[in-house]
Amino acid sequence: MKLDQYRLTEEPAYHASGNEVAFYEAAYEARLPVMLKGPTGCGKTRFVEHMAWKLGKPLITVSCHEDMTASDLVGRFLLGPEGTHWQDGPLTLAVRYGAICYLDEIVEARQDTTVVIHSLTDDRRILPLEKKGELVHAHPDFQLVISYNPGYQSVLKDLKESTKQRFCAMDFTYPAAGIETAIVASESGVAPDVAGRLVRIAEKSRHLRGQGLEEGASTRMLIHAGRLMRSGMSLTDACRLALILPITDDPDMRDALEAAVDACA
Amino acid sequence: MPVPETMARDRSADLPAAVLAGFPGDALTGWLRARDRLRGAGYGSAVPRAFERSSVALAPLTGAEAATALADAVSTVAIRATPRIAERLCAVAEIAGRRMPEAFGDWLALIRRLAALAPESVAPLLDNMEMLTARLDLPGLEAWIMTGLRLGGRDADKRQSYFRLETPEALRLLELEAGGDSFVSMERRLRAYLTALYDITPPLRIAPPAGRQGAARRTSFAGGVLLVPPSLPGYRGAAEPLYRAALAHIGAHLRYSGRFPVGQLKPLQIAVVSLIEDARVELLAAREMPGLLRLWRTFHVARPGGLATAPSLFARLARALIDPDFDDPDGWIRKGRAMFLERRERWSDPAISREIGNLLGNDLGQLRVQFNAKDYVVQPAYRDDNLGLWDLGEDPPQDAEALEVMVDTVKLRRSDPAPGEAERQEQQAPAEETVEKVAPMAGDTEEGRVLASYPEYDYATGRERADWATVKAYPAAPGNPRFWEELREARGPLLSRVAGLIRSAEVGQARRQKRQAEGEVLDLDACIDAATALRSGQFPDHRVYERQAPPQRNLAVSLLLDISQSTADPVPGTDRTVLDIERDAAAVLAHAMDEMGDPFAINAFSSDGREEVRLTPIKSFDAPLDAAVGAALSGLRPGYSTRLGAALRHAGAELARVPRHRRLLLLITDGEPSDIDCPDPVYLVQDARRAVQGLAALGIDVFCVGLGPRNKEQEAAIFGGNGFIQIDRVSALPDKLPALYLRMVR
Repeated sequence: MKLDQYRLTEEPAYHASGNEVAFYEAAYEARLPVMLKGPTGCGKTRFVEHMAWKLGKPLITVSCHEDMTASDLVGRFLLGPEGTHWQDGPLTLAVRYGAICYLDEIVEARQDTTVVIHSLTDDRRILPLEKKGELVHAHPDFQLVISYNPGYQSVLKDLKESTKQRFCAMDFTYPAAGIETAIVASESGVAPDVAGRLVRIAEKSRHLRGQGLEEGASTRMLIHAGRLMRSGMSLTDACRLALILPITDDPDMRDALEAAVDACA
Repeated sequence: MPVPETMARDRSADLPAAVLAGFPGDALTGWLRARDRLRGAGYGSAVPRAFERSSVALAPLTGAEAATALADAVSTVAIRATPRIAERLCAVAEIAGRRMPEAFGDWLALIRRLAALAPESVAPLLDNMEMLTARLDLPGLEAWIMTGLRLGGRDADKRQSYFRLETPEALRLLELEAGGDSFVSMERRLRAYLTALYDITPPLRIAPPAGRQGAARRTSFAGGVLLVPPSLPGYRGAAEPLYRAALAHIGAHLRYSGRFPVGQLKPLQIAVVSLIEDARVELLAAREMPGLLRLWRTFHVARPGGLATAPSLFARLARALIDPDFDDPDGWIRKGRAMFLERRERWSDPAISREIGNLLGNDLGQLRVQFNAKDYVVQPAYRDDNLGLWDLGEDPPQDAEALEVMVDTVKLRRSDPAPGEAERQEQQAPAEETVEKVAPMAGDTEEGRVLASYPEYDYATGRERADWATVKAYPAAPGNPRFWEELREARGPLLSRVAGLIRSAEVGQARRQKRQAEGEVLDLDACIDAATALRSGQFPDHRVYERQAPPQRNLAVSLLLDISQSTADPVPGTDRTVLDIERDAAAVLAHAMDEMGDPFAINAFSSDGREEVRLTPIKSFDAPLDAAVGAALSGLRPGYSTRLGAALRHAGAELARVPRHRRLLLLITDGEPSDIDCPDPVYLVQDARRAVQGLAALGIDVFCVGLGPRNKEQEAAIFGGNGFIQIDRVSALPDKLPALYLRMVR
């Protein structure tokens, strides 16, 4: 099989916070494209991996960046010993052979790039390869998933209305304290009470979102802090290393966060 | 000519023993000479007598030399000011000598300097010296005096009122010197700390200065407004943890406390109930944040045992309740702690504070412990005065500002100051409240040129009233033609930083241009196409290069400045007003936009009723950024109200005429929509919201930069969730605005 390397062999751990698994399954059943919204590090990518594993489908992930062109997604001609030959891009691969294609941080890509997905996300389910003169009809297993961080202050960085309206959307936030504690504990291996304290610290930092911080500490950061603690670091140091210093360069905010860590320690 | 030692000995026979003890050996010669000089200088007999008395008293404290040097200061003051003041100096010197024996010589030098520079100020300074020396050390005192001289300039009256502590600056600076670390310098991080801990952003206000008494200071909260002392005397260098503890404590109140009706409770009972409530909320907060207890406990310094006076008992009980290691033999304290711990399961219920407080209060009554409500200050220092806990029974004023004034007056009543002062402070309070609605500018009778009329949206009826608001153009007052030069002087580093930011932003924004006839690298796709064409016998396209090029910018910006009366408010921590900061920020941003080549316009607005929406054009889209723009910017004067919707509509209509792909209306404001003819606060908010929606339909993005703490729900209602940003530290605006702009237009 062409896509074997994209299959997940082990179950990616995922703690559901609500009905998202059932919702996703329903969307997949109808082969509707899905948009995952939420702050960075809250588990969007992990969720997609988990669902791909659960549904037994290969998963092709593309991290979008601002210089990405349509051919980076769709494919291009390459020069080979025999002359030129066509190389499918990740999106075409997924469309042709039936995978879940996950475009991470889609808003980063230029808006003219994102329009190539339009014909795939309505009832046509086709991908025209203009350069090659081919029209690829989507494999029945194909599904498109995009993620998107609505973020703070990004007035002008938004999806086109015509893109937005093709998707079902699922809103992700940081999991509830209990679930997040379980995640941090199981992913980093720290004791649940320590994980609970880390989660509380993260909550404090999330209160400052938009009040000096662009984003609060993510679940991913907590796991990092937990791993540092597993290797013998104190809570204060681990939080400094894994949370406070990465998140902000503003001395006042660092100071406030350190004091908040102290309050929770 | 030196007096021979034998002669001094001879004259010493008729001197009192204290003089001989204070000025042994050669020192006596100097002292005698100093006294004789004062006697012979014609200051009258009282001055030398006062010197004799004071120098003798000072000698054992400060040493003979410094005590003798008093004569020089006395002489200077007698000449520069009057002999009577010199006489007074002697008495005050005794106090100063007791307070700062080591630095007494320097203190005298300071007085002499002041007498030389501002003789009229010596008397008022001496009057306050006892309090000043109690609160300030010598460097602090020197700094305070020198600042006063600088502030007063050549105006003797102004200097005098400073040293009489009649000006707010005098008190504020005194607090600053006395406290060491002022709240202002830490405000931003403390605010962030409070928000982080409790997810609240209550308005934080700096409490008015305590006045001459220099009373112990506490934080206070009522109606959601937090009053914070500007500095904490006695915590020099350690003020930040104390502020943190205080805010963490108030946050706990705001989260866990309700309000108790005062009812028939006596002051003693109120104090005890408050004390229990303090401990209750602290322990509840500590369930979530155990580290807070560590922070709070460092300020509990009460020792077990001691007198059974109310302040001592209270401080000890306060400690006993939150510190399990604290053991006090006193029966009342043990009882209080036992009752409190028994109710551990019910801590989440505020009623237990009243219950325990009443019982303990009654016990104190039976023990006949005296409680002086007037002098009582909550201990330890991080706890607030608990005013916010009590429902004073009067009709609670609706808005925070009025409540603030009420709290102040309650405080004044409680601290019971000298009669004249209370009056003065009460007069001051309303003066500080800038009511936007009644602030016409003096001498401004000129009628503005009518630009346009705009509809206004009435949310109550759900329809737009046609031609309701009239926008008139008022040219800016003549301003500073050297504005740009001066800006470059004042903000040079910032301007060059912004220029650098723009250069790097342009690099960062470079786009690949493919299929170019020339360029840096081969465009692989084009090459392959060309090769394909060649092999299939077609004529290949020669455009096979790729290059990096800055994008075609296709953007127009209209900058709209709010210059309503509230922008005349000073920005905390600086000597500048909000408008000054807005002006600088606009100038820096204009500079940046000019450098990028984006067309932009700048307008300022205020309003005085619907017929008078005052618009001051500063720069139009096609005008160059020149000295005239600088002069217009510097000519802006604050005044009137904020009729936001009409101003937005006008700036938007101008912007709509600019043929650009993306059009951005950037609003800088420090307040909420309001106007004299709109008593309903929701009306103008809804109208502004409607205006923003209307502009969005025209393809114009409206973005609001809000200065200072804001009402976020309202902002979100007007501008949409992503349509505004709040900048708490107003003084940071010029630094932040260009970066924000770059991010928005990327």
